[in-house]
Amino acid sequence: MSVPNEDNMSSHTQLSSHFFGELLDSIIVDVASECHRIARLGLDRNLEEEEEELRLSAQARVTVADPSNSGETNGKYVVDIFGQTHPSVANEVFDCMNCGRPIVAGRFAPHLEKCMGKGRKARVKATRSSTAAQNRYSRGSPVSAYSSYSNSTSTNRLSNGTYNHTVEEYSNGTCEEP
Amino acid sequence: MSSKINHHHHHFNGHDSIPPPCPHLADFCSRNGTKPFHLLQNCLRIKPPHGRASIRRDPSEIPRCGACGVSSVPRIYACVTCATISCHAPPEPSHAAAHAASMAPGHEISVDVDRAELFCCACRDYVYDRDFDAAVVLSSKANNIHSNVNSDNLRKKRRIVEYRPWLPDIHERVLVNNNSSVLNFVEDRPWGLRGLNNLGNTCFMNSVLQALLHTPPLRNYFLSDRHNRYYCQQKKSGNENGVVGGKRSNGGDGHGGKGLRLCLACDMDAMFSAVFSGNPVPYSPAKFLYSWWQHAANLASYEQQDAHEFFISMLDGIHEKVEKDRHKTHGLGHGDCCIAHRVFSGILRSDVMCTACGFTSTKYDPCVDISLDLEPYLGSSAKSMSLKTHSCNGEVDCTNSSQNGGISTLIGCLDRFTRPERLGSDQKFFCQQCQVRQESLKQMSIRKLPLVSCFHIKRFEHSSIRKMSRKVDRYLQFPFSLDMAPYLSSSILRSRFGNRIFPFDGDEADASNEMSSEFELFAVVTHTGKLDSGHYVTYLRLSNQWYKCDDSWITQVNENIVRAAQGYMMFYVQKMLYYKAGEKQVAQ
Repeated sequence: MSVPNEDNMSSHTQLSSHFFGELLDSIIVDVASECHRIARLGLDRNLEEEEEELRLSAQARVTVADPSNSGETNGKYVVDIFGQTHPSVANEVFDCMNCGRPIVAGRFAPHLEKCMGKGRKARVKATRSSTAAQNRYSRGSPVSAYSSYSNSTSTNRLSNGTYNHTVEEYSNGTCEEP
Repeated sequence: MSSKINHHHHHFNGHDSIPPPCPHLADFCSRNGTKPFHLLQNCLRIKPPHGRASIRRDPSEIPRCGACGVSSVPRIYACVTCATISCHAPPEPSHAAAHAASMAPGHEISVDVDRAELFCCACRDYVYDRDFDAAVVLSSKANNIHSNVNSDNLRKKRRIVEYRPWLPDIHERVLVNNNSSVLNFVEDRPWGLRGLNNLGNTCFMNSVLQALLHTPPLRNYFLSDRHNRYYCQQKKSGNENGVVGGKRSNGGDGHGGKGLRLCLACDMDAMFSAVFSGNPVPYSPAKFLYSWWQHAANLASYEQQDAHEFFISMLDGIHEKVEKDRHKTHGLGHGDCCIAHRVFSGILRSDVMCTACGFTSTKYDPCVDISLDLEPYLGSSAKSMSLKTHSCNGEVDCTNSSQNGGISTLIGCLDRFTRPERLGSDQKFFCQQCQVRQESLKQMSIRKLPLVSCFHIKRFEHSSIRKMSRKVDRYLQFPFSLDMAPYLSSSILRSRFGNRIFPFDGDEADASNEMSSEFELFAVVTHTGKLDSGHYVTYLRLSNQWYKCDDSWITQVNENIVRAAQGYMMFYVQKMLYYKAGEKQVAQ
């Protein structure tokens, strides 16, 4: 390694460091002047409040995760705020507005489904929007996939337009765990 | 502002709070007026699209300091009075300050040639001036035309009126006394809390109903008898049979008996009456389910369903069945069509910008909620930091949640929702100015905030490749108080133009936007469990106390439970409501 080469390399390195330094300085001033403007014109977001909310959330999660805390999260209720208890299947009885028969509240939906002629067995397949995909699961019972919106007329429908509303599907019991 | 409202964000249309000018700037303006700034417009060079503005007399000019000849320092200033170029590079002595001192008075104000910002060499600080900013913005705008696809009906400005509380006069008091029955109100129990019976996998419906029953504008509407179900049914049936009971049926004609017309708003009215009656026994929303299934035939089945889907469907149902002015569709987002849209409807703005020339195409669409994506999976490094909070040096970048300790936040989702997104090269947009397809940037913002903002978190993922759906259980932090100002179109537009002081399109629109971008959380719908076998629960905030509504069970919970819960839909209401002059004359 001859001396002239070393000199060339070091001045080359020096030059690139120098350029890099200038570019970096320029970028720093860019950001500083943007932030200065935002701060001066009062456009900055209320960071203290946002940080406070984050802190409270983090604290809450720790508190809730602590098993020594009361069983508020475990879903076992003793009484509600009125001092009442409720069975797991709602036992109020009322008349079905379709057929007139008295039905137990907790079984009203399955009854109404048959009563109205809706439901899996009775239902005619609704038309699908082109973006909705179908899900069929291995256990054999057909699962319906729902498009996101009801079948109302287009003048009433919200246009999706450029705001991409992806279709979500939500299915019943036959899904295998991924 | 005519009324003293303390709000954090300042708006530049008319009344504003830009900082007062330094004495040198004030002096300069009073002596020279706005002419020098306008002259500078000729030297403004803007890099598309909406790039940085710089000052160059000649496009290829390299500015050099008149005193020392240097051109590569980051800060070079041109005196606005005599165009002398000086450098300012601490810790070296400042040639800019020297120029101002030697030529004083009158040469203190200069402009940063690379950033088009005014700098006072005497104060050694950047200063801000409305006229200068206007010149920069107009120069930017001259370079690219904006096209507004459908903004025609947006200018529906209605003046804000002062709220006048109503008190009954003597005659009205007699009427009220004679025609009402006093409810049994228990002091320490909050108003309107009542369990909803699960009718068979209907927790998806119950959870949304609980949120709606306590949505302040909606609750007020129904409790003030603005949709009287007896009157509505009478009008609809057009017969003299008068009142037809909700649950009694006259036979199996499928419509619950003769005279009963399908109206989801009537069923809501009945539900409000029942829930706010003071009766603590859980209510069965059977009639509502029946009506909803008639409205949304393809969703009518005894299966667990999506609460958000139900929410959208139900708002739609209320809209359709309200026989108001049929000509007023909600397509304009003003909410004049029905109470559902009055409360929830906002307007989203979508801008697509050509990256080559800056031409922007703008489109407005109404929305009743905002669906937000969770970030893509962050990886295991995020998990280890999940419970720590970082101290923040400078501004927190919420788009990068690893700086939040790996936690996804609602604000982060909103930041991502409104950030400029580069459309892929396979999605080139036809630019009217360039007349070819160009790569473009798309950016969403909120043109008009609704009274009540519902945020829906897309937790249910569908993969058409793997032919399955899955649920994303990741925790999302959401604040109890939320300021939506940074997501307004006016803010987004302004930041696109470098935050210049200028009345941007969208600033002068709805006056209520200016004053009320602050929201408070009042309801959270959560989902626990698996996608197919999960359970919905709603948390309600009443008088700053939180209650858990789990079908028939109403219990009081600590706010920590709510903060730590897995939010699926979050409901926020505007902190301050303003009254606008109605279009119709109301009988006095």
